[in-house]
Amino acid sequence: MTATYLQHFGLLAIAAAIAACVGYFVGPHWGWALFCASVLSLLVYQLRQLGLLLHWVTEKSNAPVPESSGIWDDIFARLYRRNRDQIRTRGRFARLLARSLQAGRALPYGVAVLDKDWRIVWCNDAAESHFSISLSTDRGQVITNLVRQPEFLGYVNAGNYAETLELSTPRADGLVLAIQMVPFVEEHHLLLSRDVTETQKLTIMRRDFVANVSHELRTPLTVMVGFLETVRDLKLDPARSRDYLNLMSEQGHRMQSIIDDLLTLSSLESAPPPHSEEIVDIAALLAQVRNEAEQLSAGRHRVSLVADTSHDLAGNTSEITSAFANLANNAVRYTPENGEIGIRWSAGPAGATFSVTDNGPGIEAEHIPRLTERFYRVDRSRSRETGGTGLGLAIVKHALARHQATLEIESEIGKGSRFTARFPANRLVAKPEQIVAVAGS
Amino acid sequence: MNDHLSKQFDNELEALRSQVLQMGGLVEAQVRGAIQAFSNGNLSLADQVVETETRVNTFEVDIDTDCSQIIVKRQPAATDLRLIMAVTKTVTDLERIGDEAHKIARMARQIHERGVADSGRFANIRHTGDAAVNMLRQALDAFARLDVQDAMRIITEDRAIDIEFKSVIRQLITYMMEDPRTISTALDIIWIAKAIERIGDHAKNICEYVIYIVKGTDVRHTKVQFPEVQPAKV
Repeated sequence: MTATYLQHFGLLAIAAAIAACVGYFVGPHWGWALFCASVLSLLVYQLRQLGLLLHWVTEKSNAPVPESSGIWDDIFARLYRRNRDQIRTRGRFARLLARSLQAGRALPYGVAVLDKDWRIVWCNDAAESHFSISLSTDRGQVITNLVRQPEFLGYVNAGNYAETLELSTPRADGLVLAIQMVPFVEEHHLLLSRDVTETQKLTIMRRDFVANVSHELRTPLTVMVGFLETVRDLKLDPARSRDYLNLMSEQGHRMQSIIDDLLTLSSLESAPPPHSEEIVDIAALLAQVRNEAEQLSAGRHRVSLVADTSHDLAGNTSEITSAFANLANNAVRYTPENGEIGIRWSAGPAGATFSVTDNGPGIEAEHIPRLTERFYRVDRSRSRETGGTGLGLAIVKHALARHQATLEIESEIGKGSRFTARFPANRLVAKPEQIVAVAGS
Repeated sequence: MNDHLSKQFDNELEALRSQVLQMGGLVEAQVRGAIQAFSNGNLSLADQVVETETRVNTFEVDIDTDCSQIIVKRQPAATDLRLIMAVTKTVTDLERIGDEAHKIARMARQIHERGVADSGRFANIRHTGDAAVNMLRQALDAFARLDVQDAMRIITEDRAIDIEFKSVIRQLITYMMEDPRTISTALDIIWIAKAIERIGDHAKNICEYVIYIVKGTDVRHTKVQFPEVQPAKV
């Protein structure tokens, strides 16, 4: 900077020297006049540069730097550099902000920013769907005006935010949220919400499962112990005691079958998925399933089998057998006498389906989603007389899932039910040399 | 409506609105609990509904007092006055909804203590109950957002509940004719159905107050003809 000052003083000094010379040789008036003229021209030059600067700063930020020289060029260059740096920094911050907002929006957890009066400042997509709000219309709205559950209001007002609140929402799908409030800058709060519907359902299911296993095993055990005490304490005639022993062994078998089913289930859950190299002979398997169903029915039902055995299935024979047999046996158990039970197998390019249709009493719609839960009973008093363990459909579901197959249940009260297992096409193996259609009555 | 010279006045109005919605949340929970108590026989839920009743009543009295105080102190005009008038009416409707919920809970207790023959028959009425709860929730949402479009849509939904109420009654009549032993239970259920139908009507009233606050027009007892929601003529 000092150099530029010196430059200016130099210019002034030269002008003064020339003016002094002119004044000495030509006359003092001329000398003063020349000095004034040179100072004036310097002033005009500076004013012009100032005008350029003013013009430049009022232009858009990306206007070209005006051409200049000397000290002004220096000033323009410095201003230009500072301006450019600021634009860059601003851009970087804007990108950073946009990225953080995007990250916030994309979070699977609901996040809402609330100010000190609990007004919504910002929220992400998950929070919008969790609380049925919309940022565009509800910004500035007090959150407790829209999330009105008394428990939520109590949580907000209590101020004990170390704990989470489990909140069931009024949404149709019965969403359950775990909610936590986190203090944030400037008396703001972050409202975090997490979907715990599944977790809660699992907890309930596990609790029910333990209770059910104990109950299912205790019932036959109570009967056995009762008979044992009778046989021990009373003197019975041989025929009576044989009857009792038979009943006891029946209950023993019952407990055994429950435990067998539980073991099957646990091995289905823990074993690695079946190899797809093993080919299941569908024709033989279906015949076996039908025979078993007929034995169980003992002539009380008409069991028919329609099968298109042009394809075989790749999978585990024993798992598929137990799935199909369970479906067929269920139909026999729950269909009244003289009912009709249809077993169908069809295979094609879209995959294969195995279905069991009956004309029994049907199942009410509210029970259908829960049928595959362990020990779930539609009618507690009736199912046990029919000899089921309560685990059949759970086994079916697991065995099918291990073969990427799905179970569909359709039912109409008074008309009957249809259980359908659908296998994907890549599980099918074509059997081109023999196309046999088996039909039985 | 939020630009008064007195910031204090704004705060008072805002607090009033929040209080109404808090009361609404309480009543919503009450109705939901009552219908659940009825459909799955959870009697502790029914007791909760009965207990909440006193809190709802306290809310009603408090809010009414606040309203008259604001009127005396601020002498509000235009929208503010309409808001306060609508609040006093909304509170009355909410309190009545609370009473209906109370009634449902009491009937639910009576029915389940008597022992029910077949709970499958209630599927229909539970559905109507869910529709009424949903309508109440949406009405309160419309009140919170002062959303006229939503309010108009909800008013038309009330018809669906009325129709369902009639079909429930018809169904109950057939049950009673089939088996006279079900008559006492069916009569109790009719009370519940009627209460649900009334809840729908009160929710509809709340929507009408929302329209009154925003537009200043009273749409009560008029055949609903909303120019805004009519499709444009081509």
